[in-house]
Amino acid sequence: MRRFINKWTILVVALVIVGLWAINVKDWHQLWIISSAPDNIPIVAMLFLVPIFTWMGVRQAVRNDQLIEQLEADPKLAKTHHRKVEPWRPGWARELHVWPYLVRIEFLATVIVTVVLFVWSITLNAPLEEPANPNLTMNPSKAPWYFLGLQEMLVYFDPWIAGVVMPSIIMVGLMVFPYVDSNPLGNGYYTLRQRRFALWMFGAGFLMWIVLIVIGTFIRGPGWIWFWPGQTWDHNAVVFDKNVDLHDMIAQKFGLHFLAVNPAKFIFGFIVVSGFYLVGALFFHWLMTVDFKKIRRPRSLKLDELHRSLFPKNAFEQKLLSRTSLLQYLTFQFFAVSVLLALPVKLILRLALTIKYVWVTPWFNI
Amino acid sequence: MADSPAPGESLVKKEADVPANDPIASSSTSGWMLVSALLLTISIAWALYDEALGQRPWKGMQREFVARYTRYLDSIKANAGKSETEIKESPEYQQLDADEKAARAEVDPEIKQIDSEVALIQKKLDAVTDPFQNQRGRLTVINYNVETANGSAKDRYRKQAEAKMQEIVKVNLPSDDGNSTTTQEFDYRKLEAFYNELRDKKAKRLGDKANLLKTPSELAKKRDDYLKNQLIGLGPVAIEGLKTKMASYDYSILGHQISVNAVNIVDRCEVCHAGIREPVEMTPANLAPGGPGGEPDSLARAFVSHPNREVLQIHNPEKFGCASCHWGNGRATTSEMKGHGRHRFWLWPMFEKENIQAGCQQCHARDRVTQGAEQLNLGRDLFMQRGCVGCHRYEGFDRETDALAATRQQIGQLEDQIIANEKQSRAETTKSETVEDENEVKRLLASAESFRVTNSLLAARIDQLNLQAKYQMQDQKKVGPNLKDVRVKLRKEWLPVWLLDPQGFRPGTKMPTFWRFGHLAEGTLGAPHPDKDSTEQIQAIAAYLWQEGFDSKLPQQQQGDKVHGKELFETRGCLACHSIGEGDNKLGGDFAANLQRVGEKANFDYIVRWIHNPRERVAPYCPKHKRDLTPEDYAQKGLPFEFDTELHSRCPIDGAELQVQNMTVMPNFRLSEQDSRDIATYLFSLSSPPSYASADFVNDANLKQKGHELIKQYGCAGCHEIKGFEEEQRIGKELTVEGATPIERLDFALLTKHAEEGEDPLKLREENTDHKPWYNHKGFFERKVWRPSIYDEGKEKDPKDRLRMPQPYLTPEWRTALTTFLLGSVGAEGANVPSTLFYNPQDQRRQDIQNGWWVIKKYNCMGCHQLQVGHRSVVQDLPFYQTPEGKDLLPPRLTSEGARVDPAWLLRFLHDPSLSGEKSPAQAQQIAALPSASPSPQASATASPQPGAAANQAAGRLKPQPGLDRNGVRPYLSFRMPTFNFSPNELQILVRFFMAMSGQQEPYIKEPMKPLTATETATAREMFTSGTPCLKCHITGDPAHDAKAIAPNFLLASERLKPDWTFRWLLDPSQISPGTAMPSGLFRKEGDRWVVNLPQPPASAVAYHDDHARLLVRYMFLLTPDEQRRLLAAGPATTAAPTAATTQHHARAKRKRSNHARNRQRAALGRYAAAALR
Repeated sequence: MRRFINKWTILVVALVIVGLWAINVKDWHQLWIISSAPDNIPIVAMLFLVPIFTWMGVRQAVRNDQLIEQLEADPKLAKTHHRKVEPWRPGWARELHVWPYLVRIEFLATVIVTVVLFVWSITLNAPLEEPANPNLTMNPSKAPWYFLGLQEMLVYFDPWIAGVVMPSIIMVGLMVFPYVDSNPLGNGYYTLRQRRFALWMFGAGFLMWIVLIVIGTFIRGPGWIWFWPGQTWDHNAVVFDKNVDLHDMIAQKFGLHFLAVNPAKFIFGFIVVSGFYLVGALFFHWLMTVDFKKIRRPRSLKLDELHRSLFPKNAFEQKLLSRTSLLQYLTFQFFAVSVLLALPVKLILRLALTIKYVWVTPWFNI
Repeated sequence: MADSPAPGESLVKKEADVPANDPIASSSTSGWMLVSALLLTISIAWALYDEALGQRPWKGMQREFVARYTRYLDSIKANAGKSETEIKESPEYQQLDADEKAARAEVDPEIKQIDSEVALIQKKLDAVTDPFQNQRGRLTVINYNVETANGSAKDRYRKQAEAKMQEIVKVNLPSDDGNSTTTQEFDYRKLEAFYNELRDKKAKRLGDKANLLKTPSELAKKRDDYLKNQLIGLGPVAIEGLKTKMASYDYSILGHQISVNAVNIVDRCEVCHAGIREPVEMTPANLAPGGPGGEPDSLARAFVSHPNREVLQIHNPEKFGCASCHWGNGRATTSEMKGHGRHRFWLWPMFEKENIQAGCQQCHARDRVTQGAEQLNLGRDLFMQRGCVGCHRYEGFDRETDALAATRQQIGQLEDQIIANEKQSRAETTKSETVEDENEVKRLLASAESFRVTNSLLAARIDQLNLQAKYQMQDQKKVGPNLKDVRVKLRKEWLPVWLLDPQGFRPGTKMPTFWRFGHLAEGTLGAPHPDKDSTEQIQAIAAYLWQEGFDSKLPQQQQGDKVHGKELFETRGCLACHSIGEGDNKLGGDFAANLQRVGEKANFDYIVRWIHNPRERVAPYCPKHKRDLTPEDYAQKGLPFEFDTELHSRCPIDGAELQVQNMTVMPNFRLSEQDSRDIATYLFSLSSPPSYASADFVNDANLKQKGHELIKQYGCAGCHEIKGFEEEQRIGKELTVEGATPIERLDFALLTKHAEEGEDPLKLREENTDHKPWYNHKGFFERKVWRPSIYDEGKEKDPKDRLRMPQPYLTPEWRTALTTFLLGSVGAEGANVPSTLFYNPQDQRRQDIQNGWWVIKKYNCMGCHQLQVGHRSVVQDLPFYQTPEGKDLLPPRLTSEGARVDPAWLLRFLHDPSLSGEKSPAQAQQIAALPSASPSPQASATASPQPGAAANQAAGRLKPQPGLDRNGVRPYLSFRMPTFNFSPNELQILVRFFMAMSGQQEPYIKEPMKPLTATETATAREMFTSGTPCLKCHITGDPAHDAKAIAPNFLLASERLKPDWTFRWLLDPSQISPGTAMPSGLFRKEGDRWVVNLPQPPASAVAYHDDHARLLVRYMFLLTPDEQRRLLAAGPATTAAPTAATTQHHARAKRKRSNHARNRQRAALGRYAAAALR
């Protein structure tokens, strides 16, 4: 299996997917209008820049990890060789100064970015629009691109949660993370091995945000209806979605009609959400400590065998965990489950299972 | 693996040690640095350029303008201030002039030939005219006698007439060479034929001449245009001044920005359109890139002067800006697209050139007619006259309906209050009987009494409101005919034919095509698919109309004389509204129906009755009981089944005001029954009734219910009166602010994408090959009014939800006019102008004009009359009136009517244009029935002795006409000012309108005339008869004399005219009414007084030392019938002895009925004049 996953097969599969999509695009004209709007230029750019920079970062991280391995094998070397960009080779200077080697590159970057900004701002004027018509709301009425993720969240949560609670949690979470991080390694250089969990968490969160923005830009048309890229945004398009609250769904399906009224539905929702937190926390705990390379198919269904094969522990991560205080651990779990897990789960619940809310209270809905 | 370096080793030394292949230390970034530094420099340069010019394209334009304008100024400097003669000496002018002369010379021989022919014809005509008119005059007298005589006298006169016809008249005709004369003999018929032949010949030759002169005239125009272009209004100094101004031109935005702080207008249009207000008038060619006169480019077109400077003068840009009228984004300067507002977010995109007058509608929304905005006026006309208003409310367009509804509501409220008061009053009275306290009893009784008093006041107010309601009801009209008459008017087989395809039967009719019935409208995107049950729908509608129609017997009519009918139809004025003939042969106006095929559909008896009096209803409608009243309703109250606007307009059951007229604007021409028959016969002779498929389903009672639903759904009652739908509401969307509807709310249906990508299924513009997007208001409106069905095409809907708007008949020009009207209909919210700048005149005069146009347009007064300078009436362009003689026969111009006539007189005249003094048939009968009155011949001829219409109809007679066959002021015209039955409201509006149009603001108070002394009378009399004798043309009431007269009677003057105007008229009539037959130069100025302009003035005039013209005015205003007779006797123009005997006879008869002497005169006059023309 592994030998089929290389860059060529990935490329071919990607090309096939893009090709199939391109054949089905019915409205290139509109696609062009959307992607060429000055408003959306950053997002289109992001579609390419994010993968490129991610790839560059990962490449460097992999190289660094190799270097780390090399240095760990030779402690003597590790004491004196601090060049981390390229593994040190005989004949090279052991240290390089900031001036001129770093500053000149930074200066170059500054100049290039300045040129790009100049050209961009000359050729594309600020996408300000003419006076709003007070009698008419635009349709679709879209936020600036950087807020589209927030706007898209409104589809999945009630406005209080999506507009106030979630953004606050995200912001507080971002502020809190340096303090819950007990890992002293990986500062100032790219590494995968030493910050595996942190990188995965951040990458997932970032990707999620980008996906929401892309959905908001390219997929949400008039009436905030889901149009696949290339489908015509038809103002008269009609869709019929019936989203149902989870308790109603259960009540309907299993005839448990008492669930549909308070306080049963409140309690039901509370249990479901609490359950979700529990499962989510276990999931993150597993992610924190597992050694992916050692996962194997269980040979029998005995409990300890299952445990051994599915939850092998990674020594390094275990060590990190042991450095973490309970407060740090719980704080992290709270934010991770509340945002990183809740959002995609809710997205799937809504889009695939047409579930509106899982916990309906008089004060908020989740 | 190298050793670690010893501490303290220098960096330089270390560097020297390392091999050159360290990727960081050894590689150079200078290449990168160089390239990016260059790029940075370039982009900075670019940014600077963009800042200075790229974002400010107008700077380049300004420079270009200065260059081109200076060049143009240089080119015209040579001619600046040059006089006309100087330019005429230039070689260019000489060349153009020579061309014109050559062309003229080429046709000259032929023209000369024609001129001599015409001169000869004219000689003959001169020779014939007089004998012919004499004979005709005598004949009309005899004919009049025939009509008025009784018994055997009638026959005697008939013989006399025949003898007159046979009488041989000798005419000294000039021979063809014109040198000698031969005497020829004619009887009357031959004479008439010869006379007409000569006239026709003359008209034809003159037409030929006009054709020949076409090329020379065009060349002359070219030459004159050149002259006009070269003739610069400014002197060399002024031009030099302009050049200096250009030399120090202000290359900025602020210098050319219009800013009106008070209303927050900031327009920078003139930053690019720099020449728009320059004092020199420029065309694109003047500013061509290759120098004046070259091929203009788009910049040259942007720099030109404003094409309509008059409008700019009224709407000063310093006050209004530019974008207020034109729309567009007045502040944007960066690109044409932005400045013109052609941006999907800009709410006020600039109006397209062809819809430019939409801008006027924003502020002039309350006008019916806006001066100078002809296209917009046409749009409003169409909206009203083509029946849009039947389904779509438009604020201000249904004044009568709105006012009537308000009045009725008020009446209802007052009535409720009366009932409540009565109850209270009764209660208090009852209570007072039981109460013991005396004071309390008094109080209660007083209170009860006060309620009763209040009630009597309220009742008076209700009476007042009822009267108002009556007038408002009288003014209410429908676009289409009354469908309650279907049964008595139409052939039932014709109904489905018409409903399926009205345009097929009568191209251009107001009745729109209901495409859902399945008739295929050409050029639609696909064919609008019919409803599945369309045939049944048509049948159901026809069945409902048929079964709900009046079923009444009309008097049977004999066929008449179609030749006479044709003459009447063409000369009485029918063609001002109606047209006849189809395609290229079409003649007449678009205001009303084309009558070519009326014979194929209608019942002859009904048409005769309609022509005779179109307002006559079969039965009155009572809005209170919501039904048509029957003779039984009247019989129950012991009243005759009689209804009219004057005396019998109230419901016999409870006195509510009734709808007693047909709701048509068609007026009453006061035609005799015979004339009506003749016209109808003529109309029916134009087509032969085909055999239609049988239509027995109209009697199928099962279809009726469905028909009712369908009529409701399609909104037929918007334009037609239909039983059961009298109070029906409009079915369409209100369009008052339709132009401001957000584009997203305009239902492009499945065509949104077509519209956005400029794909036009209708191919409205052949030349539109560049796929211009039409996803805008203009695109929507144009297509909606042109083919409404396209917005229904391809939609899956329940039939009930399908689009109902039928397809009206429109020409492309009409379509644009309607679009313009709708585009401008934006209301205060949607306008790009602050509402403080809206046209909302506070002065009475302007308001009167605004109000007046509604009535004028409603009744199509412009069909016959010219109301404004430059305006042309419909009849004016008819072929019969193209000769100079024909022009004298046109209805009077009303351009200065308000200055001319006494408002009080005008009011009376508009109320009763026959000036007969009779009010209504009913009143005429009442007067006739008075025991003391001996019936006048007129009354006995018209007013039937049986009371009531029912009796008339039973006897096969139509209701008699008031003022039958009379023309009040100008009996010599065959055009007839019809009786419109204006309500007092409308009469007042009209009179005020005419006064306001002529600037007569002050209330008119007639000043008494200073009586004439005996000498003055004698002097005036002599002046009247010498030189150009006035009575040669002005009618007098004497039929023999009047046969040749073409001007009104002097006896009318004192009542009708204003002395000041008469004075001015005498001095120079052609200035007041160009082309009038009244001669100019009758007086010349001597010192500060006007004297008669005669080579040998009469001695008495020489002796008279006051103003002659003023004397004549006084004489005219104080003229008596006796004096007029004396004048006739004295005048050289007299051809027949005054028939004083007959005049007095009738006068006596009349005097018994009315003591009003003037009434008597007017009536007699009208009668004679009418007879004279027959």
